[in-house]
Amino acid sequence: MIDYQYFIDHFEEFPFLVQLVWRISVVLFLTIILLTIYLKVIRYHLRKKENEYKTFKKEYEALLVEYLYADKENEQISNEQQSIILKIKTHIPIKYKRKMVISVLYNLMNEVSGEMADSIKTLYYQTGLIDYALTRLKNKNWFVIAKGIGELRRFKVEEAHDEVAKFIKHPKNEVRKETQLYLVNLFRFEGLSFLNELKTPLSEWAQLQLLEVLQKFDDQQICDIKPWLKSKNDTVVLFALKLAQIYNQFEVKDILIELLSHKEKEIRICVIEVLTNLYGIEAKEMLKTNFNQLSIEEQLSFFKLLENLVDPSDETFIEQHLFHKNFEIQLLALKILKTINIDKFLSLNKLRSNKEVPEMYKFANNS
Amino acid sequence: MMSKNKIVLAEDNSTLSLLLKFRLEKEGYELLMAVDGKEAVDLIESQSPDLVITDIMMPFISGLEVISHVRNKLALEIPIIVFSSAGQEEMVLKAFSLGANDFMGKPFSPNELVIRVKRLLG
Amino acid sequence: MDSSTLDIILKIIHYLFFAYAFSAIGSYIILSIISGKETIDYLKRKSFVNYKDILSSTMAPTITIIAPAYNESLNVVENVRSLLSNHYVNYNVIIVNDGSKDDSLEKLIAAYDLDKVDYIINEKIKTKPLRSGVFKSKNPAFEKLMVVDKENGGKADALNMGLNISTSKYVACIDVDCLLIEDALQKMIKPFLEVTDAKVIATGGVIRIANSCVINGGKLIDVNLPKSLLLQSQILEYLRAFLLGRMAWSRLNGLLVISGAFGVFDKKIAIDVGGYDTNTVGEDMEIIVRMRRYMEEQGRKYKVSYIPDPLCWTEAPDNYKIFISQRNRWTRGTIETLRKHRKIGFNPKYGSFGLLSYPYWLIFERLAPIIEVVGLLYFAVLIILKEVRWEYALSFLVLAYLFSVLFSIAALYSEELTFHQYKKKGTGYKLVLLSALEPFVLHPFILYAAIRGNIDYYFNKKKKWGEMQRKGLTGKEA
Repeated sequence: MIDYQYFIDHFEEFPFLVQLVWRISVVLFLTIILLTIYLKVIRYHLRKKENEYKTFKKEYEALLVEYLYADKENEQISNEQQSIILKIKTHIPIKYKRKMVISVLYNLMNEVSGEMADSIKTLYYQTGLIDYALTRLKNKNWFVIAKGIGELRRFKVEEAHDEVAKFIKHPKNEVRKETQLYLVNLFRFEGLSFLNELKTPLSEWAQLQLLEVLQKFDDQQICDIKPWLKSKNDTVVLFALKLAQIYNQFEVKDILIELLSHKEKEIRICVIEVLTNLYGIEAKEMLKTNFNQLSIEEQLSFFKLLENLVDPSDETFIEQHLFHKNFEIQLLALKILKTINIDKFLSLNKLRSNKEVPEMYKFANNS
Repeated sequence: MMSKNKIVLAEDNSTLSLLLKFRLEKEGYELLMAVDGKEAVDLIESQSPDLVITDIMMPFISGLEVISHVRNKLALEIPIIVFSSAGQEEMVLKAFSLGANDFMGKPFSPNELVIRVKRLLG
Repeated sequence: MDSSTLDIILKIIHYLFFAYAFSAIGSYIILSIISGKETIDYLKRKSFVNYKDILSSTMAPTITIIAPAYNESLNVVENVRSLLSNHYVNYNVIIVNDGSKDDSLEKLIAAYDLDKVDYIINEKIKTKPLRSGVFKSKNPAFEKLMVVDKENGGKADALNMGLNISTSKYVACIDVDCLLIEDALQKMIKPFLEVTDAKVIATGGVIRIANSCVINGGKLIDVNLPKSLLLQSQILEYLRAFLLGRMAWSRLNGLLVISGAFGVFDKKIAIDVGGYDTNTVGEDMEIIVRMRRYMEEQGRKYKVSYIPDPLCWTEAPDNYKIFISQRNRWTRGTIETLRKHRKIGFNPKYGSFGLLSYPYWLIFERLAPIIEVVGLLYFAVLIILKEVRWEYALSFLVLAYLFSVLFSIAALYSEELTFHQYKKKGTGYKLVLLSALEPFVLHPFILYAAIRGNIDYYFNKKKKWGEMQRKGLTGKEA
């Protein structure tokens, strides 16, 4: 007791700053102790959750498989299936169990076709999981909305169209992207109509995802892409160019030729690729005439395509570029020459004086 | 009675493998499950199965390597079926050139798989 | 008269030290808060991304993994396998055998059925020439692999060779002894494709420490906390650096360094700036600074991105000697880079790069060890002169110590709430204990190594690069 009193007296004699520092130190020390204890709690819960996760996952997987094999020919939902639905229904009010059921369902939904996929969808509806997803759309947090839309897309809930479509101009990029994916996933090319009015950039990531979705459909009947090729939004143009190439859109030729003078180099390069892919010889002749006006990247892009389109009539053109200042173009020119006129190619060897060229020549010769 | 035909099934999606295991066991096959290419190779070496079913894209050793291992290193002629997803056409071609016998694109129907298994083991 | 002048001088020195210490602590607090925000945002965004869509896409951009190898014969076969099993369609792997004196090449040829192929290199960046040449596999299962055998020129030179050869849009530069998690490429490529309002020039990854982890056939099976105090402390240090520091700087778009062990770059820009600098020991930091400088000078909007997921695991030095030589090298690398690009520092033309990131690195990374040592010396002088006011000294020492412990714990929280890699029971307690011990078991050595680095840089310029001996990835902890 006396010691304690002594300590306090002594402490009060300290300058204010020192007192303050000690006070902060005590607070920090207590914080550290508290955080340490809490860390233990967190770790305990994480471990527990992980174990539960494994058990529940197994349980749900088994239930799902049982459910899928329990269907009877003439009934929509067999009794056995009904009882499984009821069982799952009791679990889903708990958030993390719900999450797990969804992930198990979805993991399989992606991998199986036809009746089985339909059967999984029925389960999704019957257990009431769909209602949780729909409530998410009304949440204030953008990422909850985005998650909700993503789920509705995965389980192909067409009924939610009107609810979801509202988010197409949402300020958050992620929400817009999920909405776009939903629309295209469920309504295919019709779903792409959002491109007509798209002001915000469509990232390459989003473009890839959309193309992936589109390519999964058997029905490849594409809509009119002309308006998108003329879009003021450069990313929409790029996306439309990809569509033109994948879906062989021969009817857009005139627009493509106009696009050759687009202000964006990236678009021009892409156009060259599409043109040569779609129109071959015809595009080739046109680009050959313009060749010297093109940037190096565009020239290279053209030469790469020329490799597959070349015929003996291109010989003079190729010869003009055998000494192109760009290494790759030069190499391509050599290789192409070899394919169309081997004699001339072989005779080149004698003419060369440049030190580096024989190496390149040798390579072209061997490959 | 004849002993059951053994099938090694390599698939990293646990739900799908469970589903297929049930289905194929119902048809009277013995299933050996692998979650990645490495496990598959080990099982093939130790259990000498009559058929191998493998996904193309798997952790660690890919399905392609499994095929190559079976055909080149082990020099086995057992039938191999591969699963592929959309966009992996090129890989499927490679799988065939390595010696795969059949392929199924995901999503697929388990019943269809059973038919193909029966045909290959028939 | 005399004593009062001395008093004033002492006071000024005190205030300077105080100001430095408080701004350092202040910056840590601010960075921790920013990193917390960024982490939450990152997790929110990540929670609904489906990477599967991209992994099988044939339209996804091409990536080349460039892995320089020097005398890695022990593990090279195994490690290449891990590089080949990434879940991404359009990628290939170039192993650059940088004049190894061991049998790495022979081992690779045997394991992957390699065959020599004719190849001509477009030498956009000058490098040492090829030695045995370029090899590709006869087996279609290893079609992604290319092995380039060249004359020794150092890591930067080997990476440049890879940059010359790669035909991809992006390159992932990585140490060959790193273990990559299967979805590493998908995750690292995302920022390049996703950011539309700026050009992403590079994405940095996290390095995790693989010592004591169970690795089987190129696959991470089990994560363990090593027994050695040195390794444990480094784990804590990495968590702090990657989960608090870099996360915050990535939000501020102020990252000056991407770990040399794992980073993805836009190839065109990397080549346009001239590739890696072969004259520095800090080529990983230098190239980022140069790429940023290039973008600033061109007036283009750009970003250096960062992915905090544990995607790359590597061996850390497990003895003090190697550890010190590694840190010595890092220090010299930092000094070299900052000196080479000193034009940027405090230059408003370079925006926040010149006014925030560069000065921060200079003052709190580059100069910190020097200031610390000066402080210690000064303190010693005060003790000798019996001028120490112990009530101040002691209280501030305790405060500084508690702060450092608290930051480590903050990093632990960040780890537990995000990636939770150290799952085993009892590890949490060890890590907390380590937070308390680390200032004593690791910090003095870091300080020593940094001072040695400074001395070597200024007085011992011929110092050879510390060669890091590494135990094999598959090797058990002794």
